[in-house]
Amino acid sequence: MLIAIALDEDLDAILHWARDDPPSSLRYPLLVDRDLRVAELYGILNVPTSVWIDEEDNIVRPPALAWADDAYREFHGIDSSVHREALRRWVVDGIAPLNGDAIRDQQWLSTPELQAGRAERRLAVHLLRDGRPDAANRHFERAIELAPEDWTIQRGSMPLRGEDPFGPAFFAFYQRWEAAGRPGYGA
Amino acid sequence: MPDHANASTCRATVDSVLTTLEVRPVHSIHGVIPGTATLVVADDTVEVNAAERDRTLLLAPAELTRATGWELRPDGLCRGQSCVPVRDPDVLLVDGAVDLRAVAEALHQPFAFEPGPAIAVLGDSAMAVSEQMASLRAPGFTLPDLDGNAVSLSDFVGRKKLLLAWSSW
Repeated sequence: MLIAIALDEDLDAILHWARDDPPSSLRYPLLVDRDLRVAELYGILNVPTSVWIDEEDNIVRPPALAWADDAYREFHGIDSSVHREALRRWVVDGIAPLNGDAIRDQQWLSTPELQAGRAERRLAVHLLRDGRPDAANRHFERAIELAPEDWTIQRGSMPLRGEDPFGPAFFAFYQRWEAAGRPGYGA
Repeated sequence: MPDHANASTCRATVDSVLTTLEVRPVHSIHGVIPGTATLVVADDTVEVNAAERDRTLLLAPAELTRATGWELRPDGLCRGQSCVPVRDPDVLLVDGAVDLRAVAEALHQPFAFEPGPAIAVLGDSAMAVSEQMASLRAPGFTLPDLDGNAVSLSDFVGRKKLLLAWSSW
């Protein structure tokens, strides 16, 4: 069962990507998380990220980047077939990839700073919806300072701050993040 | 990165949720606080009375309980079975009203605030989030699909689920 969750404020931006083109026989729920609540509760720091949940609602694989193909492999260095093959073993053969301690070892637990950043981001979005972009930007900036490891805050707020998430602002963030030792990855 | 031992010793409850407040600033505070406030607690929105002062919001104790579930007691803050001792509960009070920033501090929850429009966010504590994660139980959620229909994780109990978070950015 695939459950897709869009971490986006802007519904039109989601619809642009959610077109069924080419038409597929695969049908799954596509949910909209404007407040990033699922990201906050599960510890999802970037996209595309998958979380595996078993029949009894236990997490058997914590949030991890999961690319569907190798289109951006040169950039992120992740071989998409590893996730795909592990997923097949779990779904078809019933073999979970990790035991409990190994799952915990791969989690990126939260910190007071990350939580403070999330609260500032939530306030910023609320101010933006309230028609106060200047106040919103101040709180986005505070959120970014507090949570440098969280791409959903750093990059996810770019369209809301008038920045291009595929432009210079993103590459500047990427260099800062890489120079800081790629926090949030390979936990 | 925090370790799991810390996460497991925390007192905060896992269902600790985000609280957003909007108030109209008022200045006189004597027990009952004038001024309308809008509180969003997780996915719920509640109207309350509150006042803006300096960098915080002041609520009548009963309003705090109604909005957040937390109750001020002589020895600390309690919600349901869960209590957080506070050595000197007077630090949570200003003229008989509850200082929300001080409450957030006592609960180790982040507090974000914009004076003027007086909008505040009481976020989740790092301990609560980390403890939930370390439990390896999948947090429940309900979100709208593109047609506005509410869909919950619990709709798919008994099946293997692959959550895939994606975005336009």
